Amino acid sequence: MKENIDLPQGTLDLLILRTLALGPQHGWGISERVQQISSDVLRIQQGSLYPAVHRLERRGWIKAHWGTSQNNRRAKYYELTKKGHKHLEAEQDIWKKLTAAVAQVLGTA
Amino acid sequence: MLTDLLFRLRALFRAKAVDRELDEELRFHLERQILKYLDSGLTRDQAERRVRMEFGGLAQVKEECRDARGINLLETFLRDLCYGLRTLRQSPGFTSVAMVTLALGIGATTAIFSVVYAVLLRPLPYKDPGALVVLNETTPKVGLVSVSYPNFLDWRAQSHAFTQMAIVHNDEFNLAGIDQPEDVSGCAVSPNFLAMLGVRPLLGRDFDASEEKPGTRPVVLLSYHLWQSHFGGDHNAIGRSITLNGRAFTIIGVLPAHYVSMEKTDVIEPIGVWATNNPEASDRGERGDTVVIGRLAAGTTFSQARAEMQSIAARLAQTYPAANDQFGVALQPIRDAFAGNLRPAILVLFGAVVIVLLIACGNVANLFLMRSTSRAKEIAVRLTMGAGRGRIVSQMLVESFLLAFSGGVLGLALAAGGIQGIVRLIPSDTQAASNLSLNGVVLLFAAGLVILSAFVFGLSPALHSAKADVQSELKESGRSVTLTRDQNRWRGILVMAEISLALVLLIGAGLMMKSLYRLVAVDPGFQPDHVLTMELGLRTAQYEKPAAILNFWQQVLERVRPLPGVEAAALGSGVPLADEHSRTDITIEGMALPKPGSFPHPDVHIVSPGYVRTLGVPLLRGRAFMDADNESAPLVAIINAMLAERFFHGQNPIGRRIMFGRFSANVAPKWRTIVGVAADTKMYGLSNPARFEVYVPVRQSVASHMNLLVKSRNDPAALTSAIRIVIASIDKDQPVYGITTMSQLERDSVSTQRTTLILLALFSTLALLLAAIGVYGVISYSVAQRTHEIGIRMALGAGSREVLRMVIAQGARIAAAGILIGMVASLGLMRLLANQLFSVSATDPPTFTVVAAVLAFTALLACYIPARRTVRVDPMIALRHE
Repeated sequence: MKENIDLPQGTLDLLILRTLALGPQHGWGISERVQQISSDVLRIQQGSLYPAVHRLERRGWIKAHWGTSQNNRRAKYYELTKKGHKHLEAEQDIWKKLTAAVAQVLGTA
Repeated sequence: MLTDLLFRLRALFRAKAVDRELDEELRFHLERQILKYLDSGLTRDQAERRVRMEFGGLAQVKEECRDARGINLLETFLRDLCYGLRTLRQSPGFTSVAMVTLALGIGATTAIFSVVYAVLLRPLPYKDPGALVVLNETTPKVGLVSVSYPNFLDWRAQSHAFTQMAIVHNDEFNLAGIDQPEDVSGCAVSPNFLAMLGVRPLLGRDFDASEEKPGTRPVVLLSYHLWQSHFGGDHNAIGRSITLNGRAFTIIGVLPAHYVSMEKTDVIEPIGVWATNNPEASDRGERGDTVVIGRLAAGTTFSQARAEMQSIAARLAQTYPAANDQFGVALQPIRDAFAGNLRPAILVLFGAVVIVLLIACGNVANLFLMRSTSRAKEIAVRLTMGAGRGRIVSQMLVESFLLAFSGGVLGLALAAGGIQGIVRLIPSDTQAASNLSLNGVVLLFAAGLVILSAFVFGLSPALHSAKADVQSELKESGRSVTLTRDQNRWRGILVMAEISLALVLLIGAGLMMKSLYRLVAVDPGFQPDHVLTMELGLRTAQYEKPAAILNFWQQVLERVRPLPGVEAAALGSGVPLADEHSRTDITIEGMALPKPGSFPHPDVHIVSPGYVRTLGVPLLRGRAFMDADNESAPLVAIINAMLAERFFHGQNPIGRRIMFGRFSANVAPKWRTIVGVAADTKMYGLSNPARFEVYVPVRQSVASHMNLLVKSRNDPAALTSAIRIVIASIDKDQPVYGITTMSQLERDSVSTQRTTLILLALFSTLALLLAAIGVYGVISYSVAQRTHEIGIRMALGAGSREVLRMVIAQGARIAAAGILIGMVASLGLMRLLANQLFSVSATDPPTFTVVAAVLAFTALLACYIPARRTVRVDPMIALRHE
C-alpha cells in the first residue's frame, strides 16, 4: 500500500471545495475524486469527510440536493454556491502564497 | 449569518427528517464503498468488514455531523432539561430541601431589592432627573436649613451653572366649604417649577411667568388625588373655585397621577400668591419651610455648580451679614433628597440578604456534592460510554439551573408576601411605601439571581463530578461510594464560610439590637404616656388679629379641660419629636455680643400655661407659666437646662433677662425675665443631642399654629371625637389634624431603626439556621461514612464518650475556624454599620463575644445530634454496615 499523508488542518475544506468546483458530486464521489487526482496520496477519512461537508453546507459555501447516482441510487449531491466559488478563490490564493513561501524557506535552509 | 441561523433552525425543528437524510447519505457511502471493494475482487464479507474498519464508529460520525450542522447545542440542552427534571423528581427530598433553601435566599434578596429599587434606583418621573439638584442653605448651628426668598432670587440671578431654578415653599392650608374642614398639604412654587421638572398638568394649564409677581390672582393646581376625592375626577372642575384658608382660589389645572414630590402635595399655588402682602417674601433672614431645585446646564458638573453656588453664598454672606453671616449653601442630587436618611439602612439590609443568599447557595452546593457521590457511578458509566466531560458539566449545570429556577419562582412568591410585610413596617407616608412592588426591574433582578446562584452552587459540584476517576469508581462496584478526601475538604470549607457569614450577620443584628435598646432607653425629656396631640392652624381672615387668635386658644383650653377623663390640657407650638420647629437668635443680657452668625439660636416653644405639666417636662428651677403671664404683664421666659448651663455657668439664671433677636443699640430691647429652668427635651429624635430651648407664654407671643396636648387618665385616643366636637363648636370650619399620641411619636421616631432591626434579626436567624443545617449535614454525612471505623473503635474498647468527642471535635474545628474568620471580617465590615448605631461601638466586645458563643453553641448542637446517633449504634451492626 502506498504511503498516505495526513491532511494539514484546514486543507480538507479546500480540497472539498476544489473538487466540487469541477461539478456536483456526492460524498463518496468527493473522496474518490480527491484520492484519484492526488494519485492516491491524499485519502480523506470518511469520519472527517461528512462533518466537514455539513459544516460547509451550514456556512453556505455548498448546497445539497438529492439526485440519482450512476448506478441508479438516490444520493445526496453537493455543488458549489456563488459564495463558495468566491471563498475557494480566496483560499486558493492564500494557499498558493503559503506553499510558495514555505517552499522558499525550505529551499534556502 | 442569516443562512446559518435558518440552517440551524431547520436542523432543530426538522431534526427527524435531517437525521433520516444523514442516515441515507452515510448508507449510500458505505454501499458504494463496498461495491468498489467487490469490484476489486474481495468477497462480500471481506468488503463489509474492511469498510466498517475504515469508517470507524458510525454513531460517532453521525454525532459529529450533528455538531457540524449546529443541532447539538440546542438539542442537548433540551435533552439535559428533560433528564434534569427526571432526576430531580426522582429525589424529592433533596429537591424540596434545596428548593426551599434557595427560595428563602432568593425571596429575601428580591424583597429587599424591591426596596432598594423603589428608594434608591427607580428613575424619578421627571425629565432628565440626573440634572436636577436640590439646594439648601446651611449654618453650622443647625446644618441644612431652608432658603430665604430674597437669597433664592439672588442665587437665580447670579448663577450660570443652572439653566433654571425654582423655589418650593411648603405650606398647609385649611380646606373648607365641604362637609368636614380639613388640612391639606401644598406648596407655593416659582411658575417655572413644573416645566423645569418636565411635568405637564394632566388638565388645564401650567403657571405662567407673570404669576411670580406679588398681587397675582389666587389660582391653584390640584393633585390628581384631591381632584378624584373632592371633585370625582370631573373635567369641569377647571375654572371652579376652592376655598383655601378662607379665600377663593380658581382651579386652573390638575397634576398627573404619577406626580411625586419630596413632600405630600395636594395643591400648588404660584409663589406670587404666597408673596402677596407677605413680609416674609422680602425678609432675607426669614427662612420658612422652603427648598430650591435647579436644573444643571448641559456640560456643567455637579462640583462646578457647587463651587459656583458656594462663592455666590459667600458673597451674599458678606453683603448681608445681618441675615447671612455664616450661612452657606448645600447641594445634593434630587435622588439623594428623596432617599433621605434611608439609604444606609437599606444598603445594610441589602448586604444582609446577600449574605443569606450566599449561605443558602453554600448549603445547596453541599447537597449537590453529597448527591454527586451517589451519582458518581452513573457519571463514571457515562464517561466510559464516551460522554465528554463538558457534557457532564453542562448537564449538572442544567440541573442546578432547574433547581435555581424553581427555587426562584417559589422565592418570588415569598418576596411578594415579604413586600407586604415591609410595607406595613415602613411609615405609610414615605414615597417608598407606595412604590414597592414586584415590577419588571425587580423580576429581572430575580432572574439574574437565579442564574447567578445556579452558577455559585452548581459549578463546583459539577466540576467535581466531571473530574471523577472512572477507573476507581467502576472498580468499587458493590461498595457504597464515598466522597473523596478532596470533596470532604471542600464541603468543610463551604460550611466554614457559611458559619463566618452567619456570624457577620448575627453580630450586625446584635449591635443593632443593643443600639435600639439604648436608644429607646434615652430620656426624651418628657412623659409621653397618655398624652394625645393634634394640630390646629388658624389661617383664615377672621384670625388676623391677635385677640381673635388668643380668644380661640382660650376657648379651646376652657372647653377641653373639663371633658371627662382629661387630666391636663395645654397648647404648644413645637412638640418634641414632631418634626416642627421654630428657631431664632436670642441675646442674653450682659453677654459679650458675638458676630451676627454666632448668637445663641434656640428652639422656641410658644406655650400656654400648663404645658410643662401636661407634657411632663421636669421643671428644674423657678416656676411654670401662669394665666397671669398675659399681654399686660412683664415679659417672661423659661429656658432649658442646656442654655442655663452654657450661659449662666451654674449660677441661678432666675431673674436674669434675655431678648429675642440680636441686641442693637438703635432699637429699644424687649427684655424677658427668666422665671424657670426646664429639662432638655429631644426635639429632633432620640439619637440627636439636645439643643437650646426657650419657652414663652402664648399671650405674650401670639402663635396661630399650635399643638393641642391632652393628658388623659385613660386611653388618650378615646378623647379624639369629644375634642373634635369641642373644636367644631368654636369654629365649624377649623380642621383638626395630625392626631396622634406622644407615645406613638416616640415609637415613630425610631421606626427606621426598629424596621432595620426586625429585618436584620429575621435574616440573621435565617442565616444561623441555614448554617446549622450546613454543619449538621456535613457531620452526619461524615459520621455515616465512618460508621464502619467507629464500629471498630468501639469494638476495640473505645467508650462512647471518646467517639462522641472525636466526632464533635471534627465539627468544632470547622466552627472555630468559621467563627474566627467571621470575627475578623466583622471587625472590618461593622464599620459600615457605625453610622446606624447609637452609643454602641461598631466593635462592641460584649456583642462579639455573646454572638460568637451563640453561634458556637448552635454549631456544636448541630454536631452533637448526629454524633449521638452514632454512638447509640451497636458495634456489631456498625461493623456489618458495609
